[in-house]
Amino acid sequence: MLKRSIGFVLVMSIGLLFSCRDKVDNDDNTDFNKGEMLENVSANIIIPSLMKFETEVSNLKSSFENFKSNPTNVNLDNVKTNWRESYLTFQTLKIFDFGPIRNIGFKSSTGTYPVDPVKIESNISSGGYDLAAASNIAAVGLNALDYLLYNSNALTEFQNNSSYTDYVDGVIQKMFNETQSIVNGWVGYTTVFNESTGTSSTSAFSEFVNEFNRDYELAKTAKIGFPIGKANLGLSNPEYVEARYSGISFELLEESIKALKATYNGDDFENGSTGQGFSNYLVHLERTNLDDAINEKFDLILSNIEGFTMTLEEAIDDPAMKSQLDELYLHLQQQVVNIKTDMTAAFGVLITYQDNDGD
Amino acid sequence: MIRLLNKGFKADFFRQTAIAPLIVFRIIFGAMLLYSILRFIMKGWVETQYIDPQFYFGFLGFEWVKPLEGSLMYIPFVIMAISALFIMLGFFYRMSTFLFFVCFTYVELIDKSNYLNHYYFISLMSFLMMLVPAHRDFSIDAKLFPSIRKKETAAWHIGILKFQLAVVYIFAGLAKLNADWLFEAQPLKTWLQAHHNIPYLGWILQEEITAYFFSWMGCLYDLFIVFFLLSKRTRPFAYLAVIFFHVLTWLLFPIGVFPWVMIFSTTIFFSVKFHQQLLNGLKKLFKWSESIPEKVNDISVLRPFVKYGIILYLAIQILIPIRFLAYPGNLFWNEEGFRFSWRVMLMHKEGLATFYVTDKSSGRTIEVNNTDFLTVRQEDQMMTQPDMILQFAKMLKKEFDGKTFSNSKQSITLRDPAVHAEVFVSLNGRSSQLFIDRKHDLTALPYNLKHRDWIEPFKK
Repeated sequence: MLKRSIGFVLVMSIGLLFSCRDKVDNDDNTDFNKGEMLENVSANIIIPSLMKFETEVSNLKSSFENFKSNPTNVNLDNVKTNWRESYLTFQTLKIFDFGPIRNIGFKSSTGTYPVDPVKIESNISSGGYDLAAASNIAAVGLNALDYLLYNSNALTEFQNNSSYTDYVDGVIQKMFNETQSIVNGWVGYTTVFNESTGTSSTSAFSEFVNEFNRDYELAKTAKIGFPIGKANLGLSNPEYVEARYSGISFELLEESIKALKATYNGDDFENGSTGQGFSNYLVHLERTNLDDAINEKFDLILSNIEGFTMTLEEAIDDPAMKSQLDELYLHLQQQVVNIKTDMTAAFGVLITYQDNDGD
Repeated sequence: MIRLLNKGFKADFFRQTAIAPLIVFRIIFGAMLLYSILRFIMKGWVETQYIDPQFYFGFLGFEWVKPLEGSLMYIPFVIMAISALFIMLGFFYRMSTFLFFVCFTYVELIDKSNYLNHYYFISLMSFLMMLVPAHRDFSIDAKLFPSIRKKETAAWHIGILKFQLAVVYIFAGLAKLNADWLFEAQPLKTWLQAHHNIPYLGWILQEEITAYFFSWMGCLYDLFIVFFLLSKRTRPFAYLAVIFFHVLTWLLFPIGVFPWVMIFSTTIFFSVKFHQQLLNGLKKLFKWSESIPEKVNDISVLRPFVKYGIILYLAIQILIPIRFLAYPGNLFWNEEGFRFSWRVMLMHKEGLATFYVTDKSSGRTIEVNNTDFLTVRQEDQMMTQPDMILQFAKMLKKEFDGKTFSNSKQSITLRDPAVHAEVFVSLNGRSSQLFIDRKHDLTALPYNLKHRDWIEPFKK
């Protein structure tokens, strides 16, 4: 038995040499390093978008202080502009829901919608509220401000109701403090992030891939799916529309998809110049077709979004727009298999942290 | 196989042989169980896998096995930890092994999304340990009841444990004899390149030839290691290979305690002399008194039901892993006859399953968010396994039947909904392809062991 086994080992080993010979030479694929990709993403996307968000939130804060002392329509518009800028930048920041951002639950405390106007109004009239409480998650953040700044009574409330003004002050102050805490957190976390290239589900690389996918799916489901009734037998729910009062939901969707596309490609947040991203990793793994498919799909989605010249709520209310909305949703849905299934599978990233034996 | 049984394990199951290897194995096995159970509890997995989920994927025929309410689920784990300690010490040995086997198997039967080959292995080994007298020396039982002490025991008591290990390795090796593993070096190519940032060695791991080398060596290792462990001459080298191989897999892949279970379990292949010396050393250390005269051997009569029981067990262990031959189509794709067959680290499957619940009368549809009902792990497992896709669809039907959906204008109540799924799966580095077509109403399909012809055929 033993002798035969040794013989078999020899035969197999020789077979091995032959089977590999032709594969060794064509190893001319591009160089790629996960560590370099993480460095590029943190230095040229995460940190710059965080800095921009910090500036915008502090502009929001100072413009609101200015408005408080002089509550005119012009000054309110100024506040609204800064709110809008912050909200657009948040579309990039929210992709990175790990490390300092996850530690303080920043993504949900800043970006939860639909907003709960009843809760907000009852908070304002009763006075005793804790904005950090879990029960107030739909009464804080950028969407609470959407309601507070844009509802039809906003200016009157600001001019006559100091509790209303205090509430807005509290919401902005909370966001300002949390942003500072993330900025400080990333000072120390950058090195951890850049070096965590492993394959375990808790490595920064895996968290990045998984959160990228989660953010994409959230954009698909929450920004479009829920409002058009995908989870409600096709019965539309305009109350689920993001930023319903300002009506900038399509702008936010467009910005979110652009941010995801730029992150996928590793493009610099400030000047758009190319760097190392998931795209480069796929090309390195000889999956150029998949890389092309993902970028084409992103472009198709973006051009679909541009086809809407009204607000999302108006589109939902107009039966003639139904097929166009369904088409947009279909494209959003078709991208999921590319990035969540094919891309993740190619990277060899794990989704759960429990023991695994590969089946 | 006959030859293997004759030569490797000696057909003479009832020949008397030194009990020392069995005693040493009991201690090692008990310690491993204790460590694994404590690790499982400490990692919070009782919570995430047996308390948090709202729905459990039962095994066919065992759907009645349900978890205990809330924190009560910790009870079987505490019983397992205590009985593992008792197994190690040889205290109330038969009762402890029985309790461990029952609790462990109960927990494993609750949810197939937690299925791992090494859990199945632990179930089988604890079952076997329940049947063999591994407490008849150097145990608290033997201290309390000196009359049970034995110096020798029937050969099958040790042989069957070796057989079980041989089954694990050899079937794991046979499973690797497939085109993806040998000629594409998949899934290792995918898994190894992901380590390209490891200092000094990373560049080797992303070379294609490394993946081929690991694939072929892993296959040869699994197929032949048992034979090299059985032969006295090659044993030292074989055991070094065991350590090297399993430590490497432990470093590269998240396979938990399995590598250590194998490294420690394979010590049973060591010589009787080795085990006797180890046992004598332990006895000295714990001042074990040998003063009471020990009965030398178990003058056991060859009982036919034991013999046939053993033969039946061996036959089952060989038949279960080859039951896949009864199904048409690609095994990795269809996963019919896949579990309980020692197919370890064999494929990389990633899926995306979108479920649609449809109101038959209005034709209106809901797109399901799977994670409203499943944990991340359950969803991940379900999306690539047809039987779980079917189970989930049937669960969704129950969940949605009679529910009312409305907006400001309209209200619709779902009655007897249809459930369809569109599923895409990527297997071993290939592009994803359609796995389940949306045309099937899954609620109308039977859940049984027959071939599932509603799975889309695998395209190369």
